[in-house]
Amino acid sequence: MLPELLRVALLGGILATDRAAGWNLMLGQPLVGACLAGALLNPGPEWELWALRIPLGVGVLLQLLLTDPALPAAQRPRDAATAGVIGSSVAILCLERVHPFLSVTTGGILWVLVGTIAGLLASVAGGWMEASLRARNEISARRAEELALEGRVSSFEALYWGGVGRIFLRGATWSAAATVAGVAASAVLLPSVARFVTGPRAGLIFAVLLGVAYASGFHTHVRVFRRGLGWATMGAVAALLVMLRLHGGGP
Amino acid sequence: MIDPEPAAPPAPIPAPPRPLRALDFARMTSRSFYLQALFAPERQQGPGFAFALLPAIRRLYSGARERGSALARHMGFFGTHPVLSGYVLGVAARLEERRAQGIPIGDAAIEDAKRSLASPLAALGDPLFWVTLRPLAGLVGILGMTLFPLADRVGPDLRVLVCPLLALLTYNAVALNHRLFGVRRGYARADEPGKLLHSLRLAPLRGFFERVGAFLFGSLMVLTLWPMTESADPAGLGFAHTASVLAPFALGWIVSALVLRRWPGRCVEIALAAALVALVVSTRV
Repeated sequence: MLPELLRVALLGGILATDRAAGWNLMLGQPLVGACLAGALLNPGPEWELWALRIPLGVGVLLQLLLTDPALPAAQRPRDAATAGVIGSSVAILCLERVHPFLSVTTGGILWVLVGTIAGLLASVAGGWMEASLRARNEISARRAEELALEGRVSSFEALYWGGVGRIFLRGATWSAAATVAGVAASAVLLPSVARFVTGPRAGLIFAVLLGVAYASGFHTHVRVFRRGLGWATMGAVAALLVMLRLHGGGP
Repeated sequence: MIDPEPAAPPAPIPAPPRPLRALDFARMTSRSFYLQALFAPERQQGPGFAFALLPAIRRLYSGARERGSALARHMGFFGTHPVLSGYVLGVAARLEERRAQGIPIGDAAIEDAKRSLASPLAALGDPLFWVTLRPLAGLVGILGMTLFPLADRVGPDLRVLVCPLLALLTYNAVALNHRLFGVRRGYARADEPGKLLHSLRLAPLRGFFERVGAFLFGSLMVLTLWPMTESADPAGLGFAHTASVLAPFALGWIVSALVLRRWPGRCVEIALAAALVALVVSTRV
C-alpha cells in the first residue's frame, strides 16, 4: 500500500497547492482530484471494470455536493481539493482489500457510496485544519514584514517559499493520513456488518444521495441566478428533443 | 597665501533606474500564481502581492535598504481576485518605476491606485470566477460523462480523463488569458484604470456564463433521468413500478432543495443525514 499512498500524497499536495497557494487552475475541484486519483491508483486487472468508473462516480457526486455558490468569505470552511482524492483513494483501496469479504454484487455503487461519504467527511475535517494554517500564515506574514524592513529580501523570499512548501506538505500528509484512516475504518466496519450490506440497500442510499447532489446542483446553477429556471427549462427541453430524435420515441 | 581647501569629492550620481523588461513581467506573472501562499485574515494577499512584485523591485532599486522599504510598502492589506491580480501588479510596477525615476509619487498615491483597482476587480471577479465559471466548468466535466458513452463496456473507461480535462479546459480558457497577460496590460494602461476595468467586460461575461450554466444543468437533468427511466423497468411492469424505483431520487432531490433554501451551504450535512435516513429506512422496510 506504500507506493499507492505516496502517489496519493503527491497528488494531494499538488491539489492543496492549487487551492491554497493561488494557482487556482481548477485542479483542486473534487471531480478533477477524484478522477486523477483513480487514474493513478491501479488495483489490478481483475478490478479493471470498476477501477475507473468508481472515481468518476465519486468525483461527480462530490463535485455537485461540494460546490458552494456563495462567495469564498461566506462559505463554510471545507477542504474540497483533497476530498476528491481521499474519497476516490479510499474507494479504490477498499475495493481491492474489503470487497472479497462482502457478498454484494452491485459493487460499483457500494464503493462509490463509500468513497463519497469518505470524501464528505474529509472535506469537513480538512476545513477545520484551515484555521491552524491561517494562524501560522499570520505569524509568517509578520516575520516577512520584519525581514523586508531590515532589507533582507532573500530571506523574505525563502520565508515565502517555505509557506508554499507548508501548504504542499500539509495537503500531502492530510491526504495520505485520511486515506489510511478511511481504509482502516472501512476494513473494520464493513465486514462486521456484511449481512446488512446488500445490493438493493446500496442502490437506495445511492439514489437518495444522487437526489441530494442534484438538488445541490440546482441550487448552484439555477436557483441563485435571475431567470435561471427559464434557462434550465430551455436546456431540459432541448436535451429532451435531442434524446427523442436519437431514440425515436420515449425512454 | 592660504591653500585653497581641497575640493570635496563630488557626490556619486545615482545610476538611473533600469526600465522594466519583458523578463520582469514574466517573472511577476509566474509569481502571481503563488499570491495566496501566506494568506491570513489580517493582510489577506498583502505578502503575496509584495512577493509577486519583487522582480520589478529588484530591477528598479539597487540597494538592500531601498528594496526592503519598497517591499514593505506592499506588505499591508491587499485583497482582490487572484485571477485578476496581474492587472494591479502591472499598475503598481508602473508607479514604482516612475518613482524610481524620480517622479514624486508618494506611498499614499501608490496605495490609492492599488485599492482603486483591486476592490472593483474583487467585486467583479469573485462572482464571475468563483460563483459562476468554476461551478460551470465542473458541470461541463459532469456532462462529459453523459455525452461520451462507453466505447467498450469491459475496457478502461477513458471518461475518467476526458471529464476532468473538459472541466480544466472550460475554466482555464477564460482564466488563463487574464493570468498570463494581466501584468502587461495593467502596466500599459496604468494611467486609465477605469478604461482598463471596462475593457475586461467582466459583468456581461458573468451574465452569459450564468445562462449557460442554467441551460446545461437543465440538459444534465434530462440526460441523467433518461437512462435512469430506461433501466428502472426492464420487465415492462408499468409506470407505477418506474415511479417507485425513481422515488428515492425524487424524494432526495425535493427534500434537499427545500432544506437548501432555508440553510444554503449545508450540503455536506444534508447529504450525510440523507444517507443515514435512507440506511435506517432500508432496514425497516
